[in-house]
Amino acid sequence: MLEKFKEIICNYVEVAPEDITEDSRFIEDLGFNSYDIMCMLGDAESEFDIEIDQEKIADMKTVGEVLEYFGGLVNE
Amino acid sequence: MEFMQKKVIGGITYDCYPLTPAQLVHISTLRYSPTAEIVNIGTGQYLQTKLNIAALREALNRAVERCESMRMRIWKDPDTGELWQYIEPYRNEYFEYYDFSEWQEDRITEVLNKWTSQPFDTYGGKLSRIVIVSLPDGYNGFYFNVHHSCMDSSSVIAFSRDVMEIYCALLYGMPYPKPMGSYIESVEKDLAYEGSAKQKRDAEYWHKQLAMPEPIYTDFTGPGRLMTLRRENKNKKQRWGKLTTSNGDGSTITYELDVDSTNKIMDFARKYELPVSVVILHAIRTVLSKFNGNEKDITIRNFVSRRSTLLFKKSGGVRMHCFPMRTIIPLKATVLESMRAIKKTQDELFLHADYSTLQYIKEQREAYGFEPGGCYHSVNFTYQPGTINGMVDLLKGIGFKSRWYSSGKQPQPMYITAMHRPSDGGLNFYFGYQLDSATPEEIEFLYYFTGRVLFRSIENPDKTIKEIIDMT
Repeated sequence: MLEKFKEIICNYVEVAPEDITEDSRFIEDLGFNSYDIMCMLGDAESEFDIEIDQEKIADMKTVGEVLEYFGGLVNE
Repeated sequence: MEFMQKKVIGGITYDCYPLTPAQLVHISTLRYSPTAEIVNIGTGQYLQTKLNIAALREALNRAVERCESMRMRIWKDPDTGELWQYIEPYRNEYFEYYDFSEWQEDRITEVLNKWTSQPFDTYGGKLSRIVIVSLPDGYNGFYFNVHHSCMDSSSVIAFSRDVMEIYCALLYGMPYPKPMGSYIESVEKDLAYEGSAKQKRDAEYWHKQLAMPEPIYTDFTGPGRLMTLRRENKNKKQRWGKLTTSNGDGSTITYELDVDSTNKIMDFARKYELPVSVVILHAIRTVLSKFNGNEKDITIRNFVSRRSTLLFKKSGGVRMHCFPMRTIIPLKATVLESMRAIKKTQDELFLHADYSTLQYIKEQREAYGFEPGGCYHSVNFTYQPGTINGMVDLLKGIGFKSRWYSSGKQPQPMYITAMHRPSDGGLNFYFGYQLDSATPEEIEFLYYFTGRVLFRSIENPDKTIKEIIDMT
């Protein structure tokens, strides 16, 4: 899932996939703004066939936190 | 799904694509407006350096060659009436030159506004005009007028930056800009949205919003207009307003916020991890509340550029969608609580902004049963961060100015654009308005109170909305 998520992220920001880690913060490290994040999450919903709860994801700052949340949704 | 169809136009076979929902918004505007220039966007980009006309002509040609949407044409099938778009192959173009360097600024603006009011031939004609111009004080650059169905403000900025960067690369050895994204690829992605799982999710969201009790119209001049409509329609409970005019005559008033004040807003937004747009929206919605008897249910229509991916950021074209952003915030909420509520609503709007604007308008009318032209928002808003990154650094030491020109028409009764100046990063507030909807005094009043609420709020983030309203 991490590799696929990196692919999605790289459609939005000019960062090499190998530079993205689970600790990468979307805004500070990867250069996202709030609008890009929402669109990227929309793509992730389609890619992983999940439905994101806005309230739950609002405070997540790193790739790892979001992936962990996605993992839970996929396993539901 | 294959969207492309071969069509023979003027004896030449072109790859043709249907128009996207974002383009159809402007075609709809044209349909309901008596004049075609309402969809024109006029701008000027000027550097304070000696002009090299040959290099600028070359830069403009290279930029047009790299930007497919600059060569986009619309064709109306004479048999079916269907609209199609196609890309004209690049041909070297000669750009005229006008020397206004000895003219007064007011007179120049008058001329360039007049150029911007020249309508394009939407169905079949070229949809842009570029002229190289010299201005007083050593500023040189180009005037650019484009049809809204081929570019929105994000595209205009991206294209203009591309021209300037190519020009600087040719003349000063600066790095040559990376290629533009494919316009056709972005069109195909937009067309593929129809019938997708994403569209289903977005439709569910918007239908849920429309199942809520009816919003209430809050005018930027106060409740008078809604009262008048209630009297005219003999309906004391009417909640929708109407701000359409017959001829779309309009103007734009620009307010420049100084750099220090802009930095206060930016620092506040950073400190509390809030988008700048949310801070400004909080101020506008609080003013609308203040002007309308402290109403807590406020709707502002938010324009979304939909330029998230790297492809969309550089693909040109028009991608802007708009939706009403409704927030119900109690007066006892603090400034920070208000801003966080606005952020949450704006995030949801962003997530579902691929939905067709025209489809939403149709469904909103069906849901609440208002007359054509009815609405709940009196203010349209967009925040354009586009110019702040890159250009300021690129032009270190070179004077630069950017101008927006008016076609004399406005498609919206009141449209506030907040945009950073390329020269110093300070915020400009453009109030585009229809003459039948507002007076310059009313605009001044709105800007004055928006500024007061904005700075009182960021100085007192723990005060309640009611306290901020009372302080201003």
